[in-house]
Amino acid sequence: MTQTKIPIELILESLAEDTEKAQKRAEKASDVLLSPLHYDVASTPYDIVYEEDRVKLKHYSRSETAENKLKTPLLVVYALINRETMLDLQPDRSVVKNFLQDGIDLYMIDWGYPTRKDRFVTIDDHVNGYIDNIIDFIREKHQIQKVNIMGICMGGTFSIMYSALHPDKIKNLITTVTPSSFDTDKGLLHVWMKDIDIDKMIQTYGNIPGDLMNLGFLLLNPARLMIDKYVGFMENMDNKEFVENFVRMERWIFDSPDVPGETFRQFVEDGYKNNLLIQSKMYLDGKRVDLKKLTMPMLNFYGKYDHLVPPESCDQITSAVGSKDTEDVCLETGHIGIYVSSKFQKQFSPKIAEWLKARDQDELPVPMPPKKKASEKTNPLHKRVTINKKPPTRKTQTKKLDQLTKGNNTKPPQKPPSKGKSLLMQKISEII
Amino acid sequence: MTEAATDAEKNPPNELLFINWLEAATDLWSNLAKTAAPNPDGSKQTKNAAQNRFLGQWKTNLSLMKSFSQAMNESESESSTAQAIDVLPKIILRMSKSGWDTGFQIQKHLLEKIGKIGKRTEAYNFDNLDEEVFKASTEIYEKELQQYFHVPPLGLNRYYQERLSSLLDKHNLFENTLAEFLSVLYLPMEKSFKVLQENLQSMANEGTLPKGTKDHYAMWIKILEGHYMNLFKSKEYTDALHKTLSKMEDFLLAKNETLHDFLQLLPIPTNKEMDELYKEFHVLKKRVKELEKQIKVMSKANKGSQQSAPAG
Repeated sequence: MTQTKIPIELILESLAEDTEKAQKRAEKASDVLLSPLHYDVASTPYDIVYEEDRVKLKHYSRSETAENKLKTPLLVVYALINRETMLDLQPDRSVVKNFLQDGIDLYMIDWGYPTRKDRFVTIDDHVNGYIDNIIDFIREKHQIQKVNIMGICMGGTFSIMYSALHPDKIKNLITTVTPSSFDTDKGLLHVWMKDIDIDKMIQTYGNIPGDLMNLGFLLLNPARLMIDKYVGFMENMDNKEFVENFVRMERWIFDSPDVPGETFRQFVEDGYKNNLLIQSKMYLDGKRVDLKKLTMPMLNFYGKYDHLVPPESCDQITSAVGSKDTEDVCLETGHIGIYVSSKFQKQFSPKIAEWLKARDQDELPVPMPPKKKASEKTNPLHKRVTINKKPPTRKTQTKKLDQLTKGNNTKPPQKPPSKGKSLLMQKISEII
Repeated sequence: MTEAATDAEKNPPNELLFINWLEAATDLWSNLAKTAAPNPDGSKQTKNAAQNRFLGQWKTNLSLMKSFSQAMNESESESSTAQAIDVLPKIILRMSKSGWDTGFQIQKHLLEKIGKIGKRTEAYNFDNLDEEVFKASTEIYEKELQQYFHVPPLGLNRYYQERLSSLLDKHNLFENTLAEFLSVLYLPMEKSFKVLQENLQSMANEGTLPKGTKDHYAMWIKILEGHYMNLFKSKEYTDALHKTLSKMEDFLLAKNETLHDFLQLLPIPTNKEMDELYKEFHVLKKRVKELEKQIKVMSKANKGSQQSAPAG
């Protein structure tokens, strides 16, 4: 009789161990879940300095001790999908805090929660209305001609439109995970949007419900986002810090305002269906968005594994604009990993601060062009950088941590989460 | 013979009783109608006219009943009534038969429909593709049952009925499509278990079976993710997704239209009415903002020109 190759006794032993561990975890988890938890998002203090309809402008006070303070303020334009709180999700992983510590005078648009009365608000109302009024407000407040603008996802698309229509008001443009070329089948969203009956959708819902969009996003990867994520939670729910961070992420993901119907209609028709923006054929209230008029320096970030806005949808803009000073930065992460993963935050915020600083002084010379690629002959200052998952060297990292400590006067820097528990959050942020 | 005796001869006691009751009733209702005081002002003349019309109609009806009662008492009529009573069961039988036949036909029709349902389902092969069940069920609904919701309604409430029927119809279609979509969405789950089982089998044969449950789970979730990715890229899935969205929107639109009917009965504005208002509001707001901007620019220019102008 041949001996079986299956180590049944080992499997059973492992199963018994797992059961015991699960029981202990469940006991501890009940203590954690019933104890007072702190999962507030957007805890960095700010002032509301401008309001118009549902739209608010947040102004963050930067650290006065920060070295190399930037003269030109930066306006962050978030997408209409989900909320800008993502940039300040948890105290030890906050793009907002990093910007402030790097000396950036930061403004951020809070689009609020559109209601039924906002269903006729168009892209033009957002770009040439709210954004323009906000830019004028900042210019007037600081007595400056131009402002730096940074757009995130759909907010990046709005920023591109704005910069092309008002190049006289924008000093530097930063786009992050921004869809600008929609003619690709790489992202499922692009495939699904092409055949959607947008008129019927708007007729039915008025505004596009945030919950409907969230369901759509979950369906992009149900195995990870609807099963694995919660299995991970079950495995770590005895860890208070993990639970707090997990709930923060959940709060952000499902805090989805509705998208104004007419804005969504034009975004789908002119973007996903007809791909007009990248061809400079898009019109806002009769004005053509000519990308050749976008002449200010441009820094473009995107995620290599972004399944919502794939690289193919982001990497064409730098060669389509009129600017001679452009740079593409491809990070090996997903759609929101750029902002919430501690690994990429260490690369993302300092890169922006450095880039802006290099262009903050008018008298400063424009950085020297890098070595040209064969395909980039037409744009002498165009750079394409891929930043991989390898973290910066220890020396650089220490320097940055020193800067963070120096800049944060109010609260001491929080202890970084342990490797095991940060891994799952890392995974989640990269999946999304 | 006394007059009373003559009357008794002419009218048998039951008939007398009926005539007396008729006369008493006429007097009662006529007097009641007359008790209404005459109206001095012209505004109430219409009311009097209406009373007179009522009295006139009342008298006519009573006279008609009297003559009918008398006519029934005459010998020819008596025989005729007797004949009618003989015929009555036959008429009732005929009416019942007709009703029964109609009922039977409807039942027969329904049975035929059910029979067809059976025939239709037989035409599909369910051995391999479970989703065909949902397609078949949608088809059965569309071909055999949907027509009942499309029977044209009549009368004053026809539009309300039509909208209600449409709501039920759209709801059924949405339910069918959703069931089909969910079945498609469940396919990777089903397949992932099968693949996992096969993988484990081959690993068991090779003696490389993972020891921990976590490893089994990691293996399964990876397989599941792969299957979902394949499914989502398929045209079938995209079609099913769009179809479900479309049917859901049809249902929601039908629901909104029906709700609109109900809301109109209440002092609550409907979405349609509010949307019209919002649109006007939006356009006005845009114009006001534009004018505000223009005024701001003009006042700045004015200030500038005043400052640059020589003093005095």
